[in-house]
Amino acid sequence: MASNRLRNLRLPGLRNFSAIYLWVLFMVLFGYLQGHLFLTVSTTQLVFSQGAVTAVLALAFLAPLTTDTFDLSIGEIMSLTIVLLNYLPQKLDLPFGVIVVGVVLFSGAIGAVSGFIVVKLRVNSLIATLGISEVLSALQLYLSQNHQVSYSFSSTFVKVGNGDLFGVPYLDIYLLVIGVALWFVLEQTPVGRRMFAVGGNPDAAKLAGISTDRVVWGSLIASGVIASLAGVMYTAQVGAYTSDIGQGYLFPALAAVFFGASQLSQRPNVWGTLIAFFALAFGIQGLTLQFGAGTFWVSPLFQGSALIVAVAVASTRGAVGRGGDGRAVRRMMRRRRTTPPGGGASGGDAPPTAESDADRAKVAARAT
Amino acid sequence: MTLSLRTVSKTFAGQMALREVEFGLAYGEVRALVGQNGSGKSTLIKLLAGYHQPDPGCVAEIEGRPFDLGNAAAARAAGLRFVHQDLALILPLSVLDNMMLGREYPRTRTGRIAWRVARDEVRRQLDALRIDVDPRLPVGALSMAERTLVAIGRALADASGHERRLVVLDEPTAALPKDEVGRLLEAIDDLRRQGHGVLLVSHHLDEVLDVADTITVLRDGRIVASVPRGEVDHDRLTELIVGRPVVQPSLAERAAAVARHLGEPALRVQGLRGGRVADLDLEVHPGEIVGVAGITGSGRESLAPLVTGGLDRGGQVVVEGRTVPAGRPKAAMAAGIAAIPGERARFGVFPNLDVRRNLTISRLGRHRKWSRIQVRRERAEVLDWIQRLGIVTPHGDTPITSLSGGNQQKVLVGRALRMEPRVLVLDDPTQGIDVGARAQIHDVIEACAADGMAVLLVSTDSSELARLADRVVILAGGRRATTLLRGPELTDTSIDAAQLQSAAPAFAS
Repeated sequence: MASNRLRNLRLPGLRNFSAIYLWVLFMVLFGYLQGHLFLTVSTTQLVFSQGAVTAVLALAFLAPLTTDTFDLSIGEIMSLTIVLLNYLPQKLDLPFGVIVVGVVLFSGAIGAVSGFIVVKLRVNSLIATLGISEVLSALQLYLSQNHQVSYSFSSTFVKVGNGDLFGVPYLDIYLLVIGVALWFVLEQTPVGRRMFAVGGNPDAAKLAGISTDRVVWGSLIASGVIASLAGVMYTAQVGAYTSDIGQGYLFPALAAVFFGASQLSQRPNVWGTLIAFFALAFGIQGLTLQFGAGTFWVSPLFQGSALIVAVAVASTRGAVGRGGDGRAVRRMMRRRRTTPPGGGASGGDAPPTAESDADRAKVAARAT
Repeated sequence: MTLSLRTVSKTFAGQMALREVEFGLAYGEVRALVGQNGSGKSTLIKLLAGYHQPDPGCVAEIEGRPFDLGNAAAARAAGLRFVHQDLALILPLSVLDNMMLGREYPRTRTGRIAWRVARDEVRRQLDALRIDVDPRLPVGALSMAERTLVAIGRALADASGHERRLVVLDEPTAALPKDEVGRLLEAIDDLRRQGHGVLLVSHHLDEVLDVADTITVLRDGRIVASVPRGEVDHDRLTELIVGRPVVQPSLAERAAAVARHLGEPALRVQGLRGGRVADLDLEVHPGEIVGVAGITGSGRESLAPLVTGGLDRGGQVVVEGRTVPAGRPKAAMAAGIAAIPGERARFGVFPNLDVRRNLTISRLGRHRKWSRIQVRRERAEVLDWIQRLGIVTPHGDTPITSLSGGNQQKVLVGRALRMEPRVLVLDDPTQGIDVGARAQIHDVIEACAADGMAVLLVSTDSSELARLADRVVILAGGRRATTLLRGPELTDTSIDAAQLQSAAPAFAS
């Protein structure tokens, strides 16, 4: 067995590890250009704490993608969670913890509805979850009346979202826990094997005795729950609900998963996703510092082009395209237009990324 | 002779697929081309279509002028048209759009498609073949025969007025229900009357004998006979195709073979319906290898999926007394049936997983502990299978797509065998794989039977059936036509002959 492992060891090639090289490149480039701002503890902390929520959302997208199923409703599930966590405590006299658990379970049920539409009604998952997204956005608009909804959370809850352990933000610890759990399921258990099998060849999976419907269904429930956890994290970190949250978070999450799928094991995977996500996040941070405050347009421009370049490199090298992930990536790239950040259904007066960019700019200003 | 070929040979990697073939086709003639699988029929067609190029030294002429055989453009320019078995129609599109595929739509002055002109034109082309369908209907809404006619119509669509064509129809009746075959043969008749030349490739000797003016028989890459209709009958034609007189296996041999397998069957199939199977009873005893053969369209292609749950079915499948639910591979597996599906790439292989994960996917519980797969133990088991089945791979964690077809197939064999099934169902297990792997898989199948497994072997490869099977069930028209038993007379020839002889007469009416 040891010899097997030895043979599996490869030098980190450009193909499997391009995200890491990219990350290093950003660190060197912006470290050189903006050293006094970029290579600081506070910038690093900022990127990691700002990114944790979106990274969890990326994991939500990852789970069903392994079965070649898209869940585009994750952004709206996340923002629905946020509005409910702000709204319900004002209406119901229940312990806050019960409400959180209830909302997360409810999000799982939304995933189950998507699953029903995909599995039983045989609707393409892109269409099914896009439709669900709109319905969820309607529900949010109804609850919020298109206004900000805020609740004064306990200081404990705020601490849960903003504290840190030896400098590591709590949020990133949650991200790590969710990541490890998902990694364990996908890579270590029979369930994960079956998910990849369904993603690679659904016909063969069925003939091999796998209940493909159940696998797809379950993966959508999982994505609903994980997306809801991202919403809980957001609420703990930021608090109030505004109507433009959901869709803007979708694209960065998608980009990270697709970019990540070209990394490491060459199929959708947890660590590839997280590495890709933070490589891009540091790039954006560097660009924002470079071009100064008010450059809201940097983030979507960068996310979009980075995704295309990353997937194109992977596709032409045959890295993606062997399995279900590859088909999914190609379908995504060639046939669909994803909702651009902020251009989503939720009204989107201002690109939501603007907020975080503004924060970054503030830090930048503080640092100078 | 309009098209005439002389001394046409074709060699693939040292193997001669066609030897010095002399062949012709005239306008106003229907010529049938018959022969077993591998006799060189499809090679000849592909040469004509320009898909393959002939070996040097051939002479090809069309109406006395040299013809560049093996050049697709030249074939088209010379008026050769092909209707392949899959018809190459786009089902959701209308008849009109299908007829216009690859051609320019007539336009109005503003550049818009002149739909009325196009419709009239297509209408005229359809009328020429007496195809009575609305050009606006999607092709998917037509019967199989009508689809075939539309495909023929399209092949002839650019022939204006009295231009004549040479039309090659490759197995046009294979996918047709019996009662629609007559309509197609009428259309072939029409083509002849209009002066087109027709080359009909078919396994159905009855329809060949009915419609063809001349019948050309290919065997082992040679033309063994070119005879006018009326000079041969069904039996003589079968003999020409398989190459020797056909004898029935003797009765004494049958009795001996039957005696070997008394006792309870492991697999019992009763009144099986579904796909192209109309009504079939079948029994396989432990330790027995039962082969199933039949020409395309006989039900052979649906049998394995019906039994193993890949296709929904009617009728009963019973394994050791327990009824197996229909249409659920998982339930069939639980009942003790393991399947090695046909069309490896489509129904067997997970291209995104490695050899190990492909092999163990059907039974992941074996190495599970605390809900985790113990990869070390899994690797050890896979290594064992790799050695046992002689899978050529650097190690178990190699992507399965980097293996040869034969070795991929061995992985699927391993996947089925590690289920420890009572019944093993194989669907064309050695299709398209190399000789070495084929022999290895044959050995494995025999070893399974010797271990007491009941083996159902569905195959298009008659020599495989002759080598392995204790009995060969010949299907025709979705039913059992006859059964051949092991004995000196169970040979690839007799299996081929039985398939051809029992192919149901095309004209039921």
